[in-house]
Amino acid sequence: MKPMGALRPEVARLLAAKEDRRRTLAGLPYPDKVRAVVRLQRMVAPVLRARGRQVRVWNIKETP
Amino acid sequence: METTLQVLNDLERAGVVSRYAIGGAMGAMFYVEPVLTFDLDVFVVLPQAGGGLLTLAPLYEALRARGYHEEKECVNIEGVPVQFLPAYNALLEEALAEARETRYEATTTRVLRAEHLLAIALQTGRDKDRERVRLLREQASLDQKYLAAVLARHGLAL
Repeated sequence: MKPMGALRPEVARLLAAKEDRRRTLAGLPYPDKVRAVVRLQRMVAPVLRARGRQVRVWNIKETP
Repeated sequence: METTLQVLNDLERAGVVSRYAIGGAMGAMFYVEPVLTFDLDVFVVLPQAGGGLLTLAPLYEALRARGYHEEKECVNIEGVPVQFLPAYNALLEEALAEARETRYEATTTRVLRAEHLLAIALQTGRDKDRERVRLLREQASLDQKYLAAVLARHGLAL
């Protein structure tokens, strides 16, 4: 793999922004993370079901 | 999720479990970015059964009496599939004993320390556990001295 220094500046900026976003997500309050998990479940469940894996999206009431 | 935690607190108050703490992916998420998971892993210390047997049967029975039923290896509690895992070794017993009290909205709950989550993932060693170790090292504020002591006590290494 090429070192980071070899990346074009715009790609390096994009990767840095991605890392920043992940750090921001890590710092979210826990209830917000739970809401994000349920959104992820909703997105992924149809794909997993199509592959034959039985999954259940959480049925929880959360204040937005 | 909050009502799920209230049920867990109720089980602890009623003595069905001696102590519980959130672990697994949902436990790690107290310290790192959200990751996809479909169940809530809850580690429990069970009251000693006759003959020193560790059995989840009384817990499942108490949950059935409250209207919550098993679905494969989980119990659906207020819309969340909860997987109960008894503390089956010294590392888990220590992790539960030293788990931290926290709040989820208005409800008190307990979560394993990040250092113990990392040690448990190292010990378990599946691909997803190795990814959890990486995330915790990258994003969690780890007490390095405490972590080193946990790893040494349980014969683990990064």
